[in-house]
Amino acid sequence: METTGIAARAEGLWKRYGSGEAQVTALAGVDVALRSAEFTAVMGPSGSGKSTLMHCLAGLDTVSAGEVFIGSTRVTGLRDAGLTALRRDQIGFVFQQFNLMPTLSAQENILLPLTIAGRKPDMAWFDTIVDTLGLRDRLSHKPTELSGGQQQRVACARALAGRPAVVFADEPTGNLDSRSGAEVLRFLREAVDAHRQTIVMVTHDAGAASYADRVVFLKDGQIISELAAPTADAVHDQLKSLETSGDGR
Amino acid sequence: MLRASLRGLLDRKLRLTLAVIAIVLGVGFFSGALVLSDSLGARFKAMFASVSTNVAVQVTARTDPAQPSQKPPSMTQAELDRVAAVDGVGAVSPDVTSAFVVPYDTQTGKPLPGGGPPQLGIGIGAEGDPMGVLSLAEGRWPTGAGEVALSRHTAAQAHAAVGRQVKVFLPRLQRPQMFTVVGVAAYAGGRDSLGGETVVLLPMAQAQEAFYGRTGLYDGVSLTADAGVSDEALRDRVSAVLPATFEAKTGKQSSADQAAAVSDSISGLTKWVLTPFAGVALLVGIFLIFNTFNVLVTQRARELAMMRALGASRGQVTWSVLVEALIVGVVGGTLGLGLGALIGGGGSWVLGNLGDAKLPGSGITVGLDTVVYSYAIGILVTVVAALLPALRASRVPPLAAMREIAVTDRPLRLRAAVGVVVGLGAAALIVLGLRAQDDGLSMVAAGCGVAFLAAIVLGPLVTRPVGRAVGLLVGWGVAGSLGVRNAIRNPRRTAVTASALMIGVMLVTAASVVATSFKESVVRALDTTLRAELTAAIGFQQPDGRIGISSAAVARIRQLPEVQEVVAMHLAVAPRLNGETAASIGVGAIDNVPGAQRTMGMKRVSGEVRALNAGELVADENTAKARNWKLGDTVRIALPGAERPYRLVGTVEASPLWANFLVVPMPAVADFAGPLIPQAMIDVRDGADVAATQAKVEEILVDFPSVTVEDKSSTTRQVTQVVDIAVLIITVLLSLAMVIALLGILNTLLLSIIERTRELGMLRAIGLGRGAVVRMIGTEAVLMSAFGGLLGVGVGLGIGVALAKALVYQDAITGVWVPWWQLVAAVVVAAVAGVFAAIVPAVRAARLNVLRAIAYE
Repeated sequence: METTGIAARAEGLWKRYGSGEAQVTALAGVDVALRSAEFTAVMGPSGSGKSTLMHCLAGLDTVSAGEVFIGSTRVTGLRDAGLTALRRDQIGFVFQQFNLMPTLSAQENILLPLTIAGRKPDMAWFDTIVDTLGLRDRLSHKPTELSGGQQQRVACARALAGRPAVVFADEPTGNLDSRSGAEVLRFLREAVDAHRQTIVMVTHDAGAASYADRVVFLKDGQIISELAAPTADAVHDQLKSLETSGDGR
Repeated sequence: MLRASLRGLLDRKLRLTLAVIAIVLGVGFFSGALVLSDSLGARFKAMFASVSTNVAVQVTARTDPAQPSQKPPSMTQAELDRVAAVDGVGAVSPDVTSAFVVPYDTQTGKPLPGGGPPQLGIGIGAEGDPMGVLSLAEGRWPTGAGEVALSRHTAAQAHAAVGRQVKVFLPRLQRPQMFTVVGVAAYAGGRDSLGGETVVLLPMAQAQEAFYGRTGLYDGVSLTADAGVSDEALRDRVSAVLPATFEAKTGKQSSADQAAAVSDSISGLTKWVLTPFAGVALLVGIFLIFNTFNVLVTQRARELAMMRALGASRGQVTWSVLVEALIVGVVGGTLGLGLGALIGGGGSWVLGNLGDAKLPGSGITVGLDTVVYSYAIGILVTVVAALLPALRASRVPPLAAMREIAVTDRPLRLRAAVGVVVGLGAAALIVLGLRAQDDGLSMVAAGCGVAFLAAIVLGPLVTRPVGRAVGLLVGWGVAGSLGVRNAIRNPRRTAVTASALMIGVMLVTAASVVATSFKESVVRALDTTLRAELTAAIGFQQPDGRIGISSAAVARIRQLPEVQEVVAMHLAVAPRLNGETAASIGVGAIDNVPGAQRTMGMKRVSGEVRALNAGELVADENTAKARNWKLGDTVRIALPGAERPYRLVGTVEASPLWANFLVVPMPAVADFAGPLIPQAMIDVRDGADVAATQAKVEEILVDFPSVTVEDKSSTTRQVTQVVDIAVLIITVLLSLAMVIALLGILNTLLLSIIERTRELGMLRAIGLGRGAVVRMIGTEAVLMSAFGGLLGVGVGLGIGVALAKALVYQDAITGVWVPWWQLVAAVVVAAVAGVFAAIVPAVRAARLNVLRAIAYE
């Protein structure tokens, strides 16, 4: 199977919740490929299935039909232990709510996935991330002693610390003010450009999406369109047209 | 507001279940003790009522409740005749009864074992029992000398039948006599016995001779009434002709009183055992409930803030939490009452059917007072425990509804200051108490109580350092170190959870230090001061002279060529000294005081210690000092027979063998409850074979009921066994407290997991495996339980050593011994138990749905 240059992909992905009358289809046959060293944004109106798509890609949620691959690993069909190892070794997460361990210092939080995996951290890479994120003088602080922006930067550093195949970011700027949000987005951009990381970000903020290389638009569980090299205005227009087309139905 | 808190309760019912369990166990033990007493009482009442069905009026000697061991007066023939002559009296059944009339098994030739239901001798007229309680089943009633009838139960026990010879021990004669069985009697309703007692029926005159030494004396009399005369009217008429030392009661009243006396004495013991443990269970429960409500309030901060924002007053918020507590208390009280009924009913069944005691009736009696107490305790404990959390709830600002307000812990500085002050207070009390030496025990005990409080207050302060130290041992790997950090992140909660465990471990530790010290002291004292190789003594029965060895038998032992010396001790229990009851003081007469000095470690401290003349007294030095007696002082001692003055002529050194003991002269034995010797020490001549001598002594004593001959090692073993059993009982009962405490750990972990759902989800999302989650929760649990165990052992050790030291100053023991391996075992057991508490929470945490945990909104 040809996977060169593809960090993650989904083929014919279906996700249904519930059964019978109450059945809801969140994903209706999604095919998507995420290229390595590319920053992909997933957008769509509420209920379009963008979060579900990310959860399925990341092995957090089971799929009803179709297949998901991270690198050459077939995610669908893995059991809990396999999924856990996959998440630990190949995937990084950034959540909307920063989700740091309150008992650990910033440094310990950043290195936590590596500690869990029992891997020796690459200190040069660690230093690079920490300096890029401007966290050097905050490493010994506990999360409660950090601002929201700082906490999210620690979360970003944690996601990248193990050089995962893919970083999934779920509304990473959703809880931040615009300045802190921009900082986080600039860092994600730099991680792609300078360090060839692969990042998938779910967002509903056109400004945030404009940092991506490519925007994938979802509606009613299907990919409607794509936009390469997006600008905030172009993303905005596309979203508008999505909503309008929705009115017609 | 009420509706809101009721809804809240339903939503959280699972989380509150564990809090309810603590209440159920505490209330269950408490009400169980009451139900046991009531149920047993009802059955005894049925038993005594069956005896007095036909009795209209019963005349008995007045007893002085302050002096239960007083020998009751007898009624003369003339007094009895006056009662019989009262207008309206029908049948007259004079009462001639003696306890410790022990039949012998005709097959083995051994006395039937005592210590259980009474072994009675009863005088009976030639026409049998006028009250119809006993009726002949076989043969005839005894009429001549050397004839007896037996109750059917007695005949079965002794393997005796009509026409056979049976040996019966008569305490007044201090020896057994042979009788011919001429009849077997059964109780009304065909019962073999009322409650497992044995009954030997002698002809009236022979019974009087055997029991009192002459005819014409009676213990009392039962009467029936002529038609048309009410029980009460007859009672009043009879009362008018009675001597002052006797009283008349209606049959109903009398049987109720007797039932109450017997069931009180039996259930009193269980009550005294069960109630303290109910107290401990409830104390532990308070911690558990406090913690549960505290966590619930924290979790509900947003909801409470919203209520405040919607206009609820502080009082309403407080009230909403207290209503929850109230309901928990009612539910706990109800279930606890149910558990108590089971405990009490079960206990009553076991006690009522123990051995041969087949009490009539069955069933469970739950008194109104039991119900009231159960609910009162359940509700009070819960509401008190929830009070602080409820007040905290009212302090949640309305603003918390709008945004996440970081819950910052108040600094522990104030707590540290309070804790140090309380701790110093405890230390001061203990040190001063120990300085005061003789009178310091109560001060030391108070200091120990305060030390417990200090430990509770200071617990959160030592949580972090102790937690980290223990963490070094148990916090392996990333899962372990996360668990350690989780355990110490909220020191208050961890400390409260661990405190619950601490209470049980502390009490067990303190008890075992004191018990071990006591045991070692006695063993060493026996080893070093007791030169007598053999001890002849009665088992666990009242050593008051009504059962034991005769002086004649002691004389025969003295004559054995292998025997160097015999010291026989007559004893009396619970005397009154100068008009005051002194339950803990023993009074004894020693037939060979120089022998006691040579072989029993009796050492003179002041005055003269020798064979005493009439009216002289020797006391141990502590008793003399505590009561401020000087040599030459006169002490009035009331014994069962009489109260007489005694002059203190000497004191002896206090030691575990000579503690709380007064020695009176041999003539005083006439005032004891009986003339028999409960305990005799036998010093075997050097070079003689101890085992052979023991066999010879046993041969001499074979006819004395309940008497056994032990060598020194088995005497020692008996003492250590008693202590070991006591420690075992304490440990077993306190394990209940530990089970509740483990429920507390389980509860805290469950609540923490709910609180940390998102965190757990994140850890799982970034790659922490299920096994690691289980290990993380397990480590947290072990840390909490090990912390509780360490704290308990630490504080318990301090308390135990302080108490033991105080007892050393009282000369009750001679030194302090610490059972180190037991203490290590306690901590290890506590830590391992933590693993069990972790199972449910760990499995829950591992099964957590990752996606749902990290999802927001």
